[in-house]
Amino acid sequence: MSEVEVLREVAPSARVSSDATIGSRCVIGPAVTIGPGTVLGDRVTVVGHTTIGSGNDIENGCVLGAQPQDLKFAGSPTLLIIGHRNHFGPNVTAHIGTEVGGYLTRVGDDNDLQANSHVAHDCYIDDRTTLEAYVMLAGHIHVCTGAVLGEWSGAHHFVTVGRYARVRPYTPARRDVPPFTDFCGHKDDFTPSVRGVHEAGIAAANLSEEEEKDLRRALAELFDEETALQTKIEQLVNLGVEGEVEHLCEFCQQSLQGVFGRYRERLRGQVPPEAEKYLAPEQMAEARRAIL
Amino acid sequence: MATVSRYATVKTANLADDVVIGAFSYVGPEVTIGPGCVIEDNVTITGRTTLGEDNHVFPMAVIGSPAVEGDDGVCEIGQANRIREHVTIASGADGPTRIAHDCLIMIGTKIGGFASIGSHVVLANFTTVGSRAVLEDYVRGSAFPVVNDGVTVGAYSFMKGYSHIDRDAPPFAMLEGDPYRVRGINTHNLQQCGFGQDDIRDLKRAYREVYDGNRRQPNRRVLDRMLANGELSQLVRQAVEVIAKEVPSE
Repeated sequence: MSEVEVLREVAPSARVSSDATIGSRCVIGPAVTIGPGTVLGDRVTVVGHTTIGSGNDIENGCVLGAQPQDLKFAGSPTLLIIGHRNHFGPNVTAHIGTEVGGYLTRVGDDNDLQANSHVAHDCYIDDRTTLEAYVMLAGHIHVCTGAVLGEWSGAHHFVTVGRYARVRPYTPARRDVPPFTDFCGHKDDFTPSVRGVHEAGIAAANLSEEEEKDLRRALAELFDEETALQTKIEQLVNLGVEGEVEHLCEFCQQSLQGVFGRYRERLRGQVPPEAEKYLAPEQMAEARRAIL
Repeated sequence: MATVSRYATVKTANLADDVVIGAFSYVGPEVTIGPGCVIEDNVTITGRTTLGEDNHVFPMAVIGSPAVEGDDGVCEIGQANRIREHVTIASGADGPTRIAHDCLIMIGTKIGGFASIGSHVVLANFTTVGSRAVLEDYVRGSAFPVVNDGVTVGAYSFMKGYSHIDRDAPPFAMLEGDPYRVRGINTHNLQQCGFGQDDIRDLKRAYREVYDGNRRQPNRRVLDRMLANGELSQLVRQAVEVIAKEVPSE
């Protein structure tokens, strides 16, 4: 059998682990770091200041670390950090951060990003999330651990998708999605909102029997249509809450304090708290200066 | 001398001096690329395609591929456009596919043959623009809208996420739903584009009247009354005249 020549363009200054596999027609930029065990399929482009951890599986046609689709971006060396053991389906795109959005886009560990999904500038994706095919994240979004976004769903700028929440297929999440809920609706007469409990999320969170009972009771009380959410949160907090229920109440409270139900809109004009964990001090200073 | 990657395949001689072409890109024999253009890696540009100055084409984009197999179509792209990853722009068989200048065409967008995109247009991810469709200047959109074949979207309109533009859409409007309804005017875009507060207020009032009740179709009687009104501001008159053209008179 004749051997086909494998062509690829890897910049000499790129730090690619000797244990990483790079497919044919890949292009790796000069400021890229790729960890051991990561497999890049064919025609994958990794550019910008992008760091990819170990054990990631990146399929054909992905473009990681390109400039953000933001008219305010001025070309600074902002970052894209990808953790370990993630799966990127074909044609997934992820962009670097912007100056005014905190300098960083981050994908955590063990995430599954399916075909054509898009992670925009300044997004934070925690661990073990699933972005199904064609999921579009706008900028500045936080997807918390274990969340699932269904096919063709989208999320508005500055939305937070809570822990183990589920956004149904074709649903535009225009406001924060509370933890452990099922968020659904896509037509004019079917406004996207919480429509139930995400059972698979509760199962995945490994809660004790007691915690699960408390959480289910809290979810039932909070999203029952009768009373205003603010009143219900106060009632719950007055009774004394802890663990997941406390987190749920905090989340809903923050969303109510946000703009149009989006807590992170409040963070416009400041470096998001998550960025401090991952940015070096001089990068933090740069990010703060950009916002000023 | 253009900077061409050793892995690129360039068959045309019509490259300006400072053009950059990335690895594994293909540029066909009848393509013309103007000065300052950056073509990144894995891009395919075929057909009788012309790119003006300062365009930036991102990886995996395909420009000028025939809309119908075997056609030798034309595609004219103006100045300073950003064409993002995985975008497909078909060439026109009956006439050229045109993109004016300063547009941002985001990831995965598909533009059909003989479509015409005005200047300063921003199309968000996975917009589908049918063949022969016309998007006038300053049209903007959110993710996933579909513009049907041959449909015109008026200047300064905004296509909200998942909207379906199945018939001609008015200028200055906020379009939402499948099929679309007019949900008011695109205030934010108008403010950004330097329209005065008075103009915006007048437009808002006029659109509220015209699209009152059933927002799928404008109200013909209101349109006639407005056109007969001599005191209408120039901008409102312009908009009302465009809308009136699309509605059959009673």
